[in-house]
Amino acid sequence: MSKASLLRKNLASSGMLIAPGAYDAIGAKLIEQAGFPLVYMTGAGTSASLGYPDYGLLTLTEMAENAGVLARSVNVPVISDADTGYGNELNMIRTVREFESRGVAGIHIEDQVMPKRCGHLDNKEIEPLEKYVSKIRAAVEARIDPHFFIIARTDSRASMGFDEAIRRGNAALHAGADMVFVEAPQSIEEVRAIPERIKGPCLLNVVQGGKTPEINLQEAQQMGFKVAILPGVLLRAAVNVFDQVLETVKRDHVVPAFLNTSTPHQNFRRFGADEWDELRRCYATDSQAANQSEGQLGAKIN
Amino acid sequence: MKKPTTILRELLAGDEPVRAPGVVDCIGARIVAKEGFEAIYMTGAGTTASRLGWPDVGLLTMTEMADNAQRIAEASGLPVVADADTGYGGPLNVQRTVRTYERAGVAALHIEDQRWPKRCGHLDGKTLISVEEMASHIRAACDARHDQDFVVIARTDAIAVEGFEAALERAKCYEEAGADVIFVEAPRDMTQLASIPRQLKKPALFNMAASGKTPFLSVEEIKALGFKLILYPNFMMLAAIPAMHKVLQELKRTGSVKGLVGEVASFQDFFNLLGMDEVKILEEKYLTDKERRVRY
Repeated sequence: MSKASLLRKNLASSGMLIAPGAYDAIGAKLIEQAGFPLVYMTGAGTSASLGYPDYGLLTLTEMAENAGVLARSVNVPVISDADTGYGNELNMIRTVREFESRGVAGIHIEDQVMPKRCGHLDNKEIEPLEKYVSKIRAAVEARIDPHFFIIARTDSRASMGFDEAIRRGNAALHAGADMVFVEAPQSIEEVRAIPERIKGPCLLNVVQGGKTPEINLQEAQQMGFKVAILPGVLLRAAVNVFDQVLETVKRDHVVPAFLNTSTPHQNFRRFGADEWDELRRCYATDSQAANQSEGQLGAKIN
Repeated sequence: MKKPTTILRELLAGDEPVRAPGVVDCIGARIVAKEGFEAIYMTGAGTTASRLGWPDVGLLTMTEMADNAQRIAEASGLPVVADADTGYGGPLNVQRTVRTYERAGVAALHIEDQRWPKRCGHLDGKTLISVEEMASHIRAACDARHDQDFVVIARTDAIAVEGFEAALERAKCYEEAGADVIFVEAPRDMTQLASIPRQLKKPALFNMAASGKTPFLSVEEIKALGFKLILYPNFMMLAAIPAMHKVLQELKRTGSVKGLVGEVASFQDFFNLLGMDEVKILEEKYLTDKERRVRY
């Protein structure tokens, strides 16, 4: 079963899928190990991991390659930020093929004018509706696997109002999109109105400190959302812990005690050491096999 | 060793126009170097064709272009003039593009005033950004370079959209904004061609495209007009296309490659082109005695 088919199966059989955001394979694997059914690749996080703010500086190549790294690292489906599709309908076709061919299960594409800005920043420029609809149509028709999941995002709330955002969401569904992502609703009432007024599955973007008030995920599920993405949680957590560790080392010249809880090999096991050890045993020559127990002992002592 | 950017600046200051044959890959890069040209051009249309198999309608990313440019710079050892399309977005994207190209070892890039996604300069249906926007892109590009010898070429695609006079006005604004070289794309006739270098203060670029929109002139003729840099974007790639067809058709027709042996590069020529001599010197230097006995 393709990851895209698995995503559709999971969507059909459960209330709301919660997808924490990852920007590298470490995050993606931890999300999977924590038992989440879906990984979200955040564009803001991917930009940050390459040393840039989320100002539309990354290229399709960089985004698709990173999404591909996440997709090959986990068994659960990965959905990814694909910004505006990086141009017109032709660029959109290429975008879908680049993500799909890397094993990504779905992408969200938005109606901002390129270069885009983070959905929760001001001064976003929006494409005309008919341009947006034709790009969604191009995306839908570009996929090879009909299960590849197209999420239509609209950023129109800020400059054109909530009704226009709903109109665009429904127009995108009509053009063949599988799910609608109304970005940055500005009140709980608007959040609640999204699944009521959109004539298909809806995605909720849970952003801390953005334009949308804080929402309890239980509540979001009751409102009828089918996917909740939490783009920034791991990046924020990492930044906080990195700062804390660096501060301690700089101030006290010691490694904080809470990092002293596992051996290197235990850490490697979070990233597939058991499978690779099995492979090593499988292909070892006789003399290597004789040495192997020693090697493992070495790893443990480390 | 002199930087490629400095070499290109010196060439541009000389009396002879700088000739930059266009390539799409490292084989082409080696051939241009071997034939003794002083500079080399990375064509975006050709790179798109080579990496995607698609026409030049703005489908390649900055990452892909810069990656190709880096390989060509490395393999040719020549100053590379690289196509950078529109700079791939707003002024911030333009700055990132300049920094990435500079790190790739490119000596010059050209950015144009088309709206993204762009189209080949010799195709119809182009749309433009405003003069003010383009001027800010040029300023952003010039500010972004770390190496002051890095050459920023401003290209205007305005002839097809707004007419020749408007294109020339744009070109003058782009000079003012700080561009080092001006590239007026797809002039139609000798009158237009003659007035471009005459009306500009900065060195002018002549794009010897294959479309036929620009007259096919000799280096002497181009020099007489006053152009300082000549691009031959796609002629090498276009020469290879019928040759590749011929190989496959001959193979299909006769069932053998025997009849082609005299017409294609020999195995020896191929390795020589790619610098097998250098590899041998390196191996002499670094191989262990045991490895050397096995290899030679």
